[in-house]
Amino acid sequence: MNGLERYLGTVAGRAVDDLARTPILMQFAAEFSGSDYGRFAADHCVLVEANVRCAEVFGIDQLSCISDPYRETHGFGGAVTFVADGPPRSTQPLADTKDLDTLAVPDPMGSARMLDRVRAVERYARDHAGTYSLLGWVEGPAAQAANLRGVITFMFDLMDDPEYAGALMDVCVETGIAFARAQVAAGADTIGIGDAIASQIDPRTYEALIQPREKRLVQAVRASGAFAKLHICGNITHLLPGIADLGVDIVDVDHMVDLAAVRAAVGERVVITGNLDPVSVVRNGTPASIASGVLDAYERAGNPYMVNAGCEIPAGTPAENLAALCRPLPYRA
Amino acid sequence: MSVLRELSERLQRGQAKEVEALVQQALDEGETPQRILEDGLMQGMGVIGERFKANEVFVPEVLIAARAMHAGIAVLEPHLVSAGVKARGKVVLGTVKGDLHDIGKNLVRMMMEAKGLAVIDLGVDVSAERFVRAATEHDADIVACSALLTTTMTEMRHVVEAAQAQGLRGRVCIMVGGAPVTDAFREAIGADLYAPDASSAADAALAHCAGRAS
Ligand code: B1M
Repeated sequence: MNGLERYLGTVAGRAVDDLARTPILMQFAAEFSGSDYGRFAADHCVLVEANVRCAEVFGIDQLSCISDPYRETHGFGGAVTFVADGPPRSTQPLADTKDLDTLAVPDPMGSARMLDRVRAVERYARDHAGTYSLLGWVEGPAAQAANLRGVITFMFDLMDDPEYAGALMDVCVETGIAFARAQVAAGADTIGIGDAIASQIDPRTYEALIQPREKRLVQAVRASGAFAKLHICGNITHLLPGIADLGVDIVDVDHMVDLAAVRAAVGERVVITGNLDPVSVVRNGTPASIASGVLDAYERAGNPYMVNAGCEIPAGTPAENLAALCRPLPYRA
Repeated sequence: MSVLRELSERLQRGQAKEVEALVQQALDEGETPQRILEDGLMQGMGVIGERFKANEVFVPEVLIAARAMHAGIAVLEPHLVSAGVKARGKVVLGTVKGDLHDIGKNLVRMMMEAKGLAVIDLGVDVSAERFVRAATEHDADIVACSALLTTTMTEMRHVVEAAQAQGLRGRVCIMVGGAPVTDAFREAIGADLYAPDASSAADAALAHCAGRAS
C-alpha cells in the first residue's frame, strides 16, 4: 500500500497493511531540510520541499500545509512578520475595536498568505497526487477569533458578550469555509481544523458558543468532498461530549488525554491519532521508549488509529526518534 | 451570609459590579480595609486558584474573577493607603524571549496580585536584559519568568546570567515556571524558585517576600 491507500483505508475503517503515520511537522521539517522556520512559513516552495523530504525519509503517509496560525489573520488585515527560528508574529486586527466592519475581507485566492497555502496544495497535487494524502488546514472559530482579538480579550468576550463572540466566530467560520473549499479544489483530501484555544475553555461555553460553529465548519468541509480532522492541543477531556457530536472523520489527541476515553466518546467510526508526549517522549525519549509508546497508544485507542505525537514534533527532535515514531507497525484486526 | 463571605462568592462568580458594591458596604459597616482585602477578596481569589488547579473552573472564569478582584481593590485602595497597608513585595514578571504564550503568565500575575504583591508585567517575548533592567528600575524582590516552549525555556539561563552580570544575584530572587519547566531545570540553571502552577507561584513569592521583610 502507498501512503494514500493506507490513509484512505484507515479512514474508511478497512484493514490496512501498516498503521498510517501522520506526525505534525513545522519547524522540525524546515530545519531537517536545511531551511528555517521563517522561510518555511513564508514560502510554500520551502514548505512543500521540506515536507516531501521528511515524508520520503521517515515514511510519512500525508503531506501537510500547516505552518502557523496566521494565514487567515493576514487576510483579515493582520501585519505578519517572519522570524528565522520561530513561527511568524502577527498583530491582532481587532485588539482595540470590536467593530467587525473594520476587518478586511479575506479572499483565499487573493490574500497573499492564504493563496500561498493554496499553492502548496496545488504543488503537492501536481507532483504527489495518488501517493500521499494531502492535508489542507484552516483555523477553527475560537482560535481565529483569538488571533483577531488577542486571546485574553477574546476570553473576556466569551464571558461578557457572548453575542459578539458568536458573531465574531461566525465571520471566522465563513472565512474558514471559503479557505477550506479553495484547498479542496486545489487537491486536498483532508482539511485539518486547528482550534487550540478551545482546550482552555469551560465545557458550558464550549458547548454553547464554540462547538456549534466548529460543527458548521466540519459539515462544510465534508460537503466539499474532503475529510474533516480536528486538532485541539491541550487537554480536551472536558470537551469530549461536544467533540463526539461534531461529525469529524479524524481527531488528533494530545498527550494528557486518555485515548480509551476518547474512543469511548467518539465511537468506532472516527480515526484517533496521537498521543505520545511530543517533548518528554518524542523529543527527549529513546527510539525504544517511542516504539513502546506507539504500541501503548494503539492499544488504548483501538482501530481506526493513526500514529502521531500529541501535537507538533518539536524542533530539536533527533531524526532517529522521528524514525522510531514512524517505523512501520502492522495493523491489527 | 456575612458581607465578606458574599464578597468572596460574588468574586468567584466574576461579578465585578456586585463586588464593588459589597466592598463599599463592608467599609460602611465598619470592616477594616485589611480584613476586606484578606477575608473577602483574597480569600475568593484563593478559592478560584484552587478550583482552577483541580480543573473545576477554566481560564475565562479565572479572568473574570481576577477582574472582579481588581474592581474591589480599586474601591479599597484609598482606604488601604490611609491605613498604611503596603504591597507585600514587588515582582517583575514576563514570558521569556521567543515565547508568545501568555495565558499562564497572566494567571500567575493575577494570583500574585491576589496575595497582595505588586506585579510589573513586561508581557511576552521579554529579553534577559529587559527583565534585569526592569528589576533594577523597580527595585524588585523577584524576577519571575514564564516559558511554555522547550526551545525558549533555555532563555531563563540568560536571565540568571544577566542578573549575575549586573550584580543583582544577592538582591533579586529569580523564579521560573511554565509547563515544560521543572525543579531540576531550575537547579541546573541556578535560579532560586520554581512553582508548578499559578497559586503555588503566588504562595512561594509571598513566602519569599515575607522572609525578606522579617
Ligand atoms: C514564574 O513562575 C511561574 C510559575 C508557574 C507558571 C509560570 C511561571 N508560567 C506558567 N506557570 C504555571 O501556572 C499556570 C497556571 O497554573 C500554568 O501555565 P500554562 O501556560 O502551562 O497553562 C495555561 C494556564 C493554559 N495553557 C496554555 O495557555 C497553553 C495551551 C496550548 C494549547 C497552547 C496555546 C494556547 C497556544 N500556542 Co502553543 N500551546 C500549547 C498548549 C498545549 C497545552 N499544554 O495545553 C503548547 C505550549 N504550544 C506548543 C507549541 C509547539 C507552539 N505553540 C504556539 C502558539 C500557540 C498559540 C498562539 C496558538 C496559543 C498561545 C496563545 C497565548 N496568547 O498564550 C507556537 C509557538 C509560538 C511562540 N513563539 O510562542 C508553537 C511553536 C506552534 C507553532 N508551530 O506555531 C507546544 C509546546 C511544546 C514544547 N514544550 O515545546 C504545546 C505544549 C502544544 C503541544 N502539545 O505540543 C503553569 O505552567
